[in-house]
Amino acid sequence: MVTATASDPISTTFSALADPTRRAILARLAAGEASVTEIAAPFEMTLPAVSKHLKVLERAGLIARGREAQWRPCRLQAGPLKDADDWLETYRRFWEERFDRLDDYLRELQQKEENNKPGRPQRKEKQNGRGN
Amino acid sequence: MVEATSNRLSVTLPSDREIMMTRIFNAPRDLVWKAHTDPEMIARWWGRGNKLVIERFEVERGGHWRFVEHSQEGVDGFEGRFREVTPPERLVQTFEWDGMPGYVAINSATFEDLGDGRTKVVTVALFHTTEERDGMVGSGMEVGLGESYAALDRLLETLK
Repeated sequence: MVTATASDPISTTFSALADPTRRAILARLAAGEASVTEIAAPFEMTLPAVSKHLKVLERAGLIARGREAQWRPCRLQAGPLKDADDWLETYRRFWEERFDRLDDYLRELQQKEENNKPGRPQRKEKQNGRGN
Repeated sequence: MVEATSNRLSVTLPSDREIMMTRIFNAPRDLVWKAHTDPEMIARWWGRGNKLVIERFEVERGGHWRFVEHSQEGVDGFEGRFREVTPPERLVQTFEWDGMPGYVAINSATFEDLGDGRTKVVTVALFHTTEERDGMVGSGMEVGLGESYAALDRLLETLK
């Protein structure tokens, strides 16, 4: 069943992903777990600012923080990404299948037009104007 | 021949309420426009090979459209109203699926003549809220650990 609610986890995922810094952090974590200091290094940003981004990612379930006392490494969490990706894939497929059909149909139409040009032998093709 | 892969559908998320789809067709703009606005022609492709019943198709500002697709999975109705009809460039319509009544997206399609016999169709679907846009997918999907990095790569590509 399809639902749309404010607490939709996929919406949380996408709003977390809507920020370029957070996407860069995820790309960094795809290479392996890292500490906050390591994550912050490439950004011109204070540690608290980076921590804020990490909190958003953590709340969205996109990353997990280790419990190891001092440095609490961050690592990527797969679940929500998979959901978001699956969802996009469903939407894509809905239109892709239609557009692929349209592509074939347009080719067929142009082929017909080509065959009907004067000076060429007329091909007898039954024109079926109805759908399906 | 133009390489087919360049005509692949591209899907991006330009804002938190939109989905943008871009597709190039190897056909002149007038023909692509006609294929979107002529009821007999749209019936040939919109159903993706399934039986498609076009109950209404009034291609004019305020006109009502309603398609019913009969597939193996069941019967799905889609409908809306045309908001803008500017041949052969722009077609704006509301889009609603019977399975989620009252959740209306606005689909704006722009038909761009590429000057070489091809046409680029860019469709932007605008949803009322981010939640509605993202609610297009079912809840309770299985959460798997596999393919996570591939999924991330694809997502980051989409969000660029």
